[in-house]
Amino acid sequence: MDTRDRNTDPAAQGAMIPDGAILPTDPILTDVRETIPGGPPAPGETTAAKGTEKIRTPFQESLLRLWRDKRAMVCAGIILFFVLLAVLGPLIYQHVGGTFQSSINGATPSSVYHNPFHQELDHQDEFASGMYWLGTDSVGRDLLARLMQGLLISISVAVLVEIVDIVLGITIGVLAGYFGGWIDQFLARFTDIMFAFPGLLFVILLTGIFGTWADTTLGNIPIIGPNGNARLILVSLALAFTAWPLMARYVRGQTLQLKEQQFVEAARTSGASSAQIILRHIIPNLLSIVIIASTLNIANTIVGEAGISLLGLGVQSPGSSLGLMISDGISLIDSHPWEVLLPSIVLAIIVLCFSFLGDGLRDAFDPRSKD
Amino acid sequence: MVQFLIKRFIGLLFVVIGVTFITFVMGLNAPGDPIRTLLGQHFDPRLYAQLKHAYGLDLPWYQQYYNYIVNLLHFNFGYSFKQQGQSVWSILSSGVPISTELGFWALILEILVGVPLGVVSALKANTWVDTTNMGIMLVLFAIPVFVLSVFAQVIIVWIDQHTGGSWPVSGWGNPWQYTFSDLQFKIVPILVYAFTGMAYIARLSRTSMLEVLRQDYVRTARAKGLSERVVIYRHGLRNALIPLVTVLGFSIGLLVTGAFFIEQIFNIPGIAQITITSINSRDYPVIQATTVLLAVAVVIGNLISDILYTVVDPRIKVA
Repeated sequence: MDTRDRNTDPAAQGAMIPDGAILPTDPILTDVRETIPGGPPAPGETTAAKGTEKIRTPFQESLLRLWRDKRAMVCAGIILFFVLLAVLGPLIYQHVGGTFQSSINGATPSSVYHNPFHQELDHQDEFASGMYWLGTDSVGRDLLARLMQGLLISISVAVLVEIVDIVLGITIGVLAGYFGGWIDQFLARFTDIMFAFPGLLFVILLTGIFGTWADTTLGNIPIIGPNGNARLILVSLALAFTAWPLMARYVRGQTLQLKEQQFVEAARTSGASSAQIILRHIIPNLLSIVIIASTLNIANTIVGEAGISLLGLGVQSPGSSLGLMISDGISLIDSHPWEVLLPSIVLAIIVLCFSFLGDGLRDAFDPRSKD
Repeated sequence: MVQFLIKRFIGLLFVVIGVTFITFVMGLNAPGDPIRTLLGQHFDPRLYAQLKHAYGLDLPWYQQYYNYIVNLLHFNFGYSFKQQGQSVWSILSSGVPISTELGFWALILEILVGVPLGVVSALKANTWVDTTNMGIMLVLFAIPVFVLSVFAQVIIVWIDQHTGGSWPVSGWGNPWQYTFSDLQFKIVPILVYAFTGMAYIARLSRTSMLEVLRQDYVRTARAKGLSERVVIYRHGLRNALIPLVTVLGFSIGLLVTGAFFIEQIFNIPGIAQITITSINSRDYPVIQATTVLLAVAVVIGNLISDILYTVVDPRIKVA
C-alpha cells in the first residue's frame, strides 16, 4: 500500500492513478487523469500508434497499466493465494500428519481430524501446533480446516452472486440504455427504491424468514448436503437481488454512450439489426465496466455473507463460514482471542484486497471515465 | 421548491408503501403457522379459530394489509406472537432509545471528525499528511464494521488483562445518561460504529474541498488579497460543505445496517438486536414493525438531505 511516492508525482507515473478511491464517481481521479499525456483510446476506437512505441490494442494497454500497478498486483496475488488455499488446501492438509490415538475416537487418521466438521473433544481451544497448524476451536475442530472451508463458502457465494448480478445487470441495463422507454423507467424507479432502502436489511429479512424452510428443503439436495450450507443459496440470491441494480445502472450509462458512437452508427447504416448491434458491438465493449463493477461488488458480497452468518442467519453449525467463525469465537475473546482474530484478520485482508484490486482495475481499464 | 418537495415526498411514500407491502407479504407467506406454534401442545380447533380471529389472520389478505396500514398510521404495531399479551410497541420501546442514542452520537462524531480530517487532507493534498490520512480512511471504510468491532474488543480485553482494569466489552448503560460507568459501556461501540461513515465523509469532504479550491471565485478571493485564512474558511469551506448535505441519507443507511453488527457483537439491547431475536423466534409482527421503523428512518434521512440541499444551495434546479 505505498501510495505515497505515486501521489507525489502523478504525471511522472503515467497512467498510475494514486489513492484508490472507493466510489466509482470520485472526481479526484478525473483531474489526475487529465494530466496523463495523450491518454488511452476509448473503447472501440482504433488505436493510433504513439510516437515510436509498439502498437498495442487498448486492451493490452490496459493490462500493461494493471501490471504496473504494484498494489493491485500484490492484492491479486493474495486473492489467488486464498483461492488456492480454499480449493486445494483441504486436499493437501487432510493427507498431512499421521494417525494419533484419541481417547474418545480411538485411532484417528489426519483425514478425519483435519476435517472441518470433526470434533476432537480432548483437543479443545488448543494453540497452533504441528498437529493443528492454526489451533482448534472450543469443540476441538481444526481452525485451519474450518478457515479453508469458510473461504470456499465465501468464494462460492461470490461466484454465484456475480453470475446472477452480471446476467441481470447486463440484460436489464442494456435494454434500458438501448431502447429506453418503460424498461428504463422501471429501472430508474427500482434503483431509486433500492438505494433508499438498505440492502442488507432486505437480506436479513429474507434469510430470517425463509431460513428454516431452506434448511429443511434445500438441505436434502445432494450437493448442498446436510452440513448447514442450505441457506447459502437463499443468502446468495438475496445478495444478488440487492446488487444488480447498481450494475444495471453502470451498464445503462455505458450503453447510452456506446450507442451514439460512430461504429454503432456505421453498423446500423449497413443494415445490422438491433439484436446484432447489441450482441456484437455493445456487449463486448461493456467488458471493462462489468469487470470493474463486479470486482468491487465481490467485496460487498463476501462481507454480506460473513455478516449474515455472523448474525446466525446464514451458514449453520457444523458448517463453516468466516462470519460463523467470528460469532463462535467472540464469546472466547477473554481466554482465546486467537479464535476470533484469525477469521477477522483473514476477512479484513480479503476485503481490502478486493477493494484495491477493483480500484486498480478501474484505473487501468477505465482511465477516462467521468461517470 | 414546494413542488419539488411534494414530488420527493410522494416518491418516498412509495418506498414506505413498498417496504410495508414486502414485509407484509413475507410475513403472510412465511412458512409455518404462527398460531399453531403459539398453541403448541395445547392445540384445540376452537381455541385456534378464536386466536386466529383475535389476531385478524382469518381475513382475506387485502383486508389484513389494510388493517395493518391503518394500525401503522396510528402507531399501533399489533401484538407479539411469542410474548403473549405484549404489544409490539412495548417490546420495541426498550430498544428504540438505545438505538437512537447510538445512531445520534455516531452521526455527530462522523461529521465532527470526518469533515475536519477531509479538509486537512485537501489543504495538504499530496503530502504525507494527506496520503496517510486517506490511506487510513480507505482501510476504515473497506473493513466491515463487525471486524472493526472484534479488533476493538480484543484491544480492550488485552488492556484489561495487562492493567488489571475492568473496562466492559458488552452491554449498554442507562440510555441517554452519562455517568462514568455508562460512558465505559458507550464510548467504544459509538466510536467503532462511527468509523465507516467517518471515513466516507472524510473522503468526500476532501474531494469537495479540492474541487472548490480550484474554482474561479477562490482565485478571485486570493487575487484581491484576502488572507489565506479567510479564503479557506469563508470562501472555501462553506461551499465545500454543500455536497456533504446529501451524505446524510446514505450515512443513516450505513448506520442502520451497521446497527445489526454493533448491537450483536457488543451485546447492546437495541432495536436491531430485538429484530434478530424476533427473527430467530419467528415473531412476525415484531419483525414487520422493526423493518418499517428502520426503513422510515432511512427514508426520512433521505428526505431531510434533499430539503437541506435545496436550502443551502439555491443554485440547485428543483425539477
